[in-house]
Amino acid sequence: MGKRQSLGGDAAAGGNPRKRQRIVHHEAPTSEKIHASRQLQQLLTFDQDTGKARHGLQSFKLFLEELLSEDKTTTDHETRCRILREYLESTRPGSEEEEKNAAYLPDIMQTWSHAGQLNNDQVMSAVPAVLALLLRLLSQSLDLVLFGLGVCRALLQKKQLDLMARNLCTDKGKSFIISPTLRLLREAICFDGGAVAKPFFRARTFTLKALARNLGIAHVGVGEIAVDEDKKRPSTRTNAVRFFLSALKFLHPEAKKELLSQKDVIAGLMRGIKQDPPYLVIEILEGLRDLVIQDDKVPREAKASLLNSSTLARVASLYSYPSLSDEDSDHLPSIPDLAHSFLMTACTSPSCGVLKFDSGFYPRDVDPDAAVPGAELDDLGLESIVWMNRFKNDVPVRNYVLSTFLQDLRPWSNVKQSELVIAIFKVAPELVAHFFITNKSFSFEPKLSATWIGYAAFLFQTATLPLPDCFCRAPNYPLLPPPTSIVVDNILPLPLNQKALARCLAHKGSMISFFATRILVVALQKLDLAVKMYHDPSHANKTLWGEAARRLADEFCQRSPNIQEMINSYRSIPGQDLLHREAASRLLRLYYEVIPQVALMAKFDVSPFLETALKRLSEKSEQEEGDARDHALSLMELENLLAIAGYSPGMRWFSVAENLALSPFTSLLKVFVEAPHGVVLSKVREVLDFVAKEQQLAPTRPGNPGMVPLLECLQYVRSTDASYMPHIWPFLDNCLTRLATAPIKYLESMQNMAQQATSSKKRGPQEKAIVSPMAVVMAEQTPFAIKGADGVVLGALSAFLPVFLDFSETAGESRKVLDTIRESINGHFDDKKARHKRVKRPYQFNSLPSNEKTTDGETEERTSNSRGKTKSEVPMINDDQLQETLHVEDGLAADNSALMKWPSKTADELVDDGYAMSLVSLLVSEHASIRREALVNILKMAAKLKASDYEEKEQIWLLLSEISESASKAGHDIGQGPLPSQVVAFACHAIKVLRDPLNPLYPKVNTFLTRGPVWDLNKVPLVNEVLSEEPSVDDSYYAQISWLLAYMIDALRTPADLALFHKKRLHGGPLLERLLALASNPYMRNPLKMQILRLLYRATTIEGGSTTLITRFGIVSWLEAQGASYAQDSEEAGIHMALLRRIWSTCDQQRVSAWSRQGIEGVINGDGLS
Amino acid sequence: MPSKISEKKPEKEVAAEFTSYYLQRATQEFAEDLDKVRSADDFKSGPDGIAMLVHALQQGTALFSSEDQRRIIVAAQTTSPAAEEK
Repeated sequence: MGKRQSLGGDAAAGGNPRKRQRIVHHEAPTSEKIHASRQLQQLLTFDQDTGKARHGLQSFKLFLEELLSEDKTTTDHETRCRILREYLESTRPGSEEEEKNAAYLPDIMQTWSHAGQLNNDQVMSAVPAVLALLLRLLSQSLDLVLFGLGVCRALLQKKQLDLMARNLCTDKGKSFIISPTLRLLREAICFDGGAVAKPFFRARTFTLKALARNLGIAHVGVGEIAVDEDKKRPSTRTNAVRFFLSALKFLHPEAKKELLSQKDVIAGLMRGIKQDPPYLVIEILEGLRDLVIQDDKVPREAKASLLNSSTLARVASLYSYPSLSDEDSDHLPSIPDLAHSFLMTACTSPSCGVLKFDSGFYPRDVDPDAAVPGAELDDLGLESIVWMNRFKNDVPVRNYVLSTFLQDLRPWSNVKQSELVIAIFKVAPELVAHFFITNKSFSFEPKLSATWIGYAAFLFQTATLPLPDCFCRAPNYPLLPPPTSIVVDNILPLPLNQKALARCLAHKGSMISFFATRILVVALQKLDLAVKMYHDPSHANKTLWGEAARRLADEFCQRSPNIQEMINSYRSIPGQDLLHREAASRLLRLYYEVIPQVALMAKFDVSPFLETALKRLSEKSEQEEGDARDHALSLMELENLLAIAGYSPGMRWFSVAENLALSPFTSLLKVFVEAPHGVVLSKVREVLDFVAKEQQLAPTRPGNPGMVPLLECLQYVRSTDASYMPHIWPFLDNCLTRLATAPIKYLESMQNMAQQATSSKKRGPQEKAIVSPMAVVMAEQTPFAIKGADGVVLGALSAFLPVFLDFSETAGESRKVLDTIRESINGHFDDKKARHKRVKRPYQFNSLPSNEKTTDGETEERTSNSRGKTKSEVPMINDDQLQETLHVEDGLAADNSALMKWPSKTADELVDDGYAMSLVSLLVSEHASIRREALVNILKMAAKLKASDYEEKEQIWLLLSEISESASKAGHDIGQGPLPSQVVAFACHAIKVLRDPLNPLYPKVNTFLTRGPVWDLNKVPLVNEVLSEEPSVDDSYYAQISWLLAYMIDALRTPADLALFHKKRLHGGPLLERLLALASNPYMRNPLKMQILRLLYRATTIEGGSTTLITRFGIVSWLEAQGASYAQDSEEAGIHMALLRRIWSTCDQQRVSAWSRQGIEGVINGDGLS
Repeated sequence: MPSKISEKKPEKEVAAEFTSYYLQRATQEFAEDLDKVRSADDFKSGPDGIAMLVHALQQGTALFSSEDQRRIIVAAQTTSPAAEEK
């Protein structure tokens, strides 16, 4: 322990220039060397002369200090020990009885007491200093422990306790009195392993007196750091901290709890921590960690009273503790690191008392399993849950302490703080939404600064946090879905609003746009997972969760930027920025996969992007240099684009752009063939096969090799002589483009050839004479290709064509037909040298060079599967699965709450949030009063909109006025019956069109609206314009059809609607017939075909619907034919079959059997159905 | 077979190699912007500022599944023997 003797020389010479010099009024005490116990006794005998008393105490003090510091093996030491022992023996009370009245060291105690009466500060300070030294010395020797315990007991006597308390609460400037007393208390509490700690704590009114204040008496002023505090002269605070920590160490858990509950002491301990010297900070943090946080015996609530939000904030302030000097950093741990690990444990471990278990996305006080009356749920859906929309501006949380603490952290400026916040979010998901709602002021406005980058990184990590199990951190889903706003806040945290993100994407600093893109990618991935959880089959109320999922997607779209902005951002990325391009293309792809309804609305033509990517890749492979990892990365971008091309209906695979030599399909072929070794190409291969099948480039029958011979042949030729390839590509591109443009033509010529071949060779009709139409088109194009061609081209073609034919033959195509083709090609080559020689090469499917390139073996598996399966079976889809796939909720389902809600909304919300649509759809309500009220409200809403500054107010006003006009004046009494569904459905879908002037239907809807003020209620609006007229905007045919089908599904709700669908004669026939005919378009994608099936499914839910479908529309053979156009084992074929079964099970079977003379039954049973 | 060699590579090693590649590419693509950030007023000199930048850049590796990361790293390893053969 340090001593306080050096008041002269060193300190005065300027040890610490900042330290205020204490004015010493008294002279330094005198002392003498001690040689015998008798002398010591005499020196310490009570004397009223304080000068003598000081002399004795000072001599004893020096004597003790020497004992403590000297070498313990010397004879001097032994002598001194003997002197001390003799002295202690002489002052010992005679018996226990005596000890109760008198005390150990009676003279010293009396001197102390006398000094107290005289207010002599020097003696008041000298006595505890001497006693502290004595206790320390006694604790070192086992045979002296008894004396020590006696001294401790003496200290516990009322008189001594009073004196100690008086010392502790003396004037705060008198550190020379407080510090020795704290040291004495510390020695006493630690003595003999805490043997007397308990009684000392019991006397806490004396021993802990003014502890909170004393913890605040440091050497330095506020704001400074006492890094250079002299370790030998610790401050009062240091002594107080050490006393407090020792108390924690030696007290039993209950007493610890009591000690920790002293709020002022805890506050005093933590308040000055940032200004403490490093060794003290380390002592505090390690002490609290080992003695409280990690001590399992300390009760949870005791830990919680230590770790209040103020303590946590004080520890967090150590994140900015200045770095240690070189000397210190060698042997001391880093303080920010220590504080970080302290906080990580304190905040994320449930046993520390800070973290409370929450229910994930369900805020405090919300019962996710509350019973909502079924009727209300049916009528109002999500609106029947009172708390559903309550948490947009405030989220009540269970983890109050953490939520307050989080506000003090700056995760954007420090990696460790960001790590801490994310760790807290992970264990307490309820805090995410709360954090951003209360931190609204911090915006995400783009700026190339360290803070923005830090903030973006933090938001990225927040977006990647996993969703809580079942949203509520429980093994099962609750009855009701979580509040949508909270889920969205967790997917795209609040600062990421539409405006800020759009500005980031358009920012000229490409790094900002890159960061925003990455955040959106992870957010979309998370949205995808969340929506899947909403559709989990275990939900008790699937309709409600389904509605919640739709609302979630809608709210996400309102917060994420427009897809057009993402497309523009992608367009502006330079070609060499591979990471950025990959991320941007991945984002677009995810849009198509996760929220296709939004993606398809954008007019995004992927062809030019795909062409550029292909061109870049082809150029790269030609260079045969550069980093293969870059190539693999570019290939990922290409795969993303290919996926988008697969989803977008208008992809032109065979049109050659101006600046390109080859069509996208051939370019892709080239990428596949020329990719560097080791690059995985399975996705590219899938797309090649898919397009070849769609465009009928190769026969699609089971067992046919498809594209395999061509790919194999190209790789073979390339490996033989790569210089041929540049001459083969243009020829191949020409052939493939022709074939894709007129597949029927080449199929016919193939059949002709097959006929000739079989008849001339007298083959039996049973042999299938099939070859790939690619061979036929090559035969046709060869004469044009070699006409005027130079020797190099001739060489290339003569190397390629025969190999291709041979490979086709080995692959199992008709040898006879191929011979015919071969002869025809040979005839065109004048030069004998150029005539091919047959390549005899054993051919096996499973040893494709392309397969060697893949690592996952997918291709191999697929090929062998397709060949191994001789007869595939239609997958069985049951009623539930069918319902899940084809059932669409009634889009006009009455939401009566709209009547009450809309007046409080702004014009934007009325249109964009669907209030206008909800109101209009009330016109089909079965209650006359609701319809009447809706009509009045529609007119009011129209007036409100017209008076607003909403951009599309005129058109929306016109639409609302026209529908109310039609409802009230066109010979229809709204009180008598609902408005026909098709009119209301049209109005609802037209509102969606009108709010976006870029919508391809915008011109048509406007033309319709300006045609007249009243609509014909017996007609289906706009159907003819969409089905028969050209689209107003290029390439928007499929987008229009998609809109029409969604509108038609909503328009088909009642038997009366069904009657309209088959009676209503338009130009080409009954409406449903025209819609069914759409499916015959071979280029129409599956999602749209599925919409037609959904329309049929809707019809089967209407009374008499299935019977009408069978008897009026020949739906049985239509479904059979449509189903047959898919591979037999595909899911689509299964869906067609399942729909057929449903139609049969819901129709009037007696009548239908009679009508078809059991024919339909035969069809159904013939397919193995019951 | 090169692919077999690469499959033996443990997940951690692939992730580490991929992170290093990702950082290298990112610093190359955004060199100009990174310089601007480093000269911004709020950029902390010393290891803290750099640590935040590196942390921000490399977290993007989370966008790539471990399968994708392997694909990219494997591409580099299988090219070299192939080139030697040529």
